[in-house]
Amino acid sequence: MFSRASPKVQRLHASVRCLATEASTSASQSPSTPPLPQRRPSPGSSTSNINAAIILNRAPIITRSPTPFERTYHAYQARIRRALHNPFPYDFYFKPGSLLEGKFRDAEREREREAFGRMSSSSGEDDVEDTSADTPSKDSELLDGQQEIKSMPRIHESDKTGNVQELNRQGERNLYLLVHGKDSTGKQVWRFPQGGLKEDEALHQAALRELHAECGKKMDTWIVSKNPVGVYQPSPQDQTHYFFYKAHILSGQVQPDGKNVTDFAWLTKQEIESRVEKPYWLGVKDMLADF
Amino acid sequence: MSAAAATATRSVAQATRTTRGRVKPVKPLSRDRYGLPIPHVNIVVRDTHLCRLQDHYHNTLRDDLMYMTYKHEPKSRKPPKDSKLTYDPENPYTKHRFNPPKGGNVYFKQLPPVTTSENVVQLERIQLHTMLESAVTSRSNLLTAIMAFRALSGESREAGGRHTAEGVEIVKAKTLGGKGWARRGQPIGVKVDLKGPKMYDFLGCLVDFVLPKLRDFNGIPMEGPSRPLTTPSAATGVVSFGLPPYALQFFPQIEVNQDMYPEHFGMHIHFITNATGAGAQNKARALVSGFQIPFQRA
Repeated sequence: MFSRASPKVQRLHASVRCLATEASTSASQSPSTPPLPQRRPSPGSSTSNINAAIILNRAPIITRSPTPFERTYHAYQARIRRALHNPFPYDFYFKPGSLLEGKFRDAEREREREAFGRMSSSSGEDDVEDTSADTPSKDSELLDGQQEIKSMPRIHESDKTGNVQELNRQGERNLYLLVHGKDSTGKQVWRFPQGGLKEDEALHQAALRELHAECGKKMDTWIVSKNPVGVYQPSPQDQTHYFFYKAHILSGQVQPDGKNVTDFAWLTKQEIESRVEKPYWLGVKDMLADF
Repeated sequence: MSAAAATATRSVAQATRTTRGRVKPVKPLSRDRYGLPIPHVNIVVRDTHLCRLQDHYHNTLRDDLMYMTYKHEPKSRKPPKDSKLTYDPENPYTKHRFNPPKGGNVYFKQLPPVTTSENVVQLERIQLHTMLESAVTSRSNLLTAIMAFRALSGESREAGGRHTAEGVEIVKAKTLGGKGWARRGQPIGVKVDLKGPKMYDFLGCLVDFVLPKLRDFNGIPMEGPSRPLTTPSAATGVVSFGLPPYALQFFPQIEVNQDMYPEHFGMHIHFITNATGAGAQNKARALVSGFQIPFQRA
């Protein structure tokens, strides 16, 4: 769904281009561009090292379940609305005496009872309807065939089995892709897909290339913006920077390459905290959605 | 202690009292001229359910739009130029004269506001509008459109106690029509503004039921990339398009009793957002396309 927006997005950014977010502009277009900061050796002993990382997001696929408070509030507001609404124009929507009208009146009476409790028969409205109370119930039986609608379960099987590689797990939540692989020091850690910058390459291009290199090409992804959403510097002495890009997965699944990356998991923000190292967590936690 | 516990339990009981039973008012409510009770407070109906597309906006779209429309401005902006006055204010001959700035405010050449997390583009309202030529001969021809718009929007005047809810409004002719067929002040069209959850419900309805059924609709037409961002339309955060008359029957609200609408009519749909400044329409398009409304280069 987002791919439709992409030509326009590129156009927006053509006019809104900013050098601070671009690792490099193509040399052929502007030969007079001065060398960019990351190419220059830094004043410290180590040279600067710029990396691109991807926060691959699976957006929620089902609506959030309301909290008990929200449910109560909505029920209360629905009662007020039911009490105040304009009278329903039965004549406009149904042929008088039709089966559908009877069924609708039945359902409406049931909803009314659910909202306000059993109505006393003293009110005039009920007296009118009581005369026809028997026939509609037959109508609804007539119409109710085998059209029993069963809703899909809101909890996926992978939530019960604890399979964190399944893309359909935790349907209400934002999930993020975390891979298990080597970091810059060669240690095996849980981290986001990442990689270094090549010569004459923009950051967002590097991000996409590294995502494909580490996680395979068997998925459709869309990088939201050419601007990074955040930056992480492991230590202030070291001039290593990780620029994070947000992306969405549209279809497909991750296939780790087996060399750099051995395992992957789709995790919520809270699950990520327990897997990654503390400094890394402090650097990335504000880029992730709480829910 | 026990008294305190008793009050505590009573208050909990009061708080958790099931609202199924009828509440007996202590003092009988005063009645209006129709004999209906007047409540002590102004009752306003708020949200009655969670809204799927509203959630989608807040979960996904808002962040994405902020990243997409972000413009990096490390330095503070230059102060705006002084507006040129019609007369020299120092000149004693024109000192106390009405001295308006020369030219308009040229709102479409203003820069967009600095991108922050607060002013991310957001859908404010959707307006449906139609003009019926047959209403010139008989104004009762508007009734079909009024009923259809009521069914589509679910809005009515001051609905749910909200005094800003206008409901379905009748549009009167402002000027003479091009061929001189409409008089000034003649009722000629119908419009309705949708806000809040109803707006998102309508949008979902449009995207899920109506647009897929339109054969010759490939997307909202969009001008080429060479178009400047400082034209009045490009700097207004509104996306508009029209639906043909046969599209009306595809709305499920109309589909259930099509026979009651003798005449089918087309309509304009305006998506009105809070984007302002040069290039605002592109931001609005980015937002609307996030709700799966397609666009097409003209």
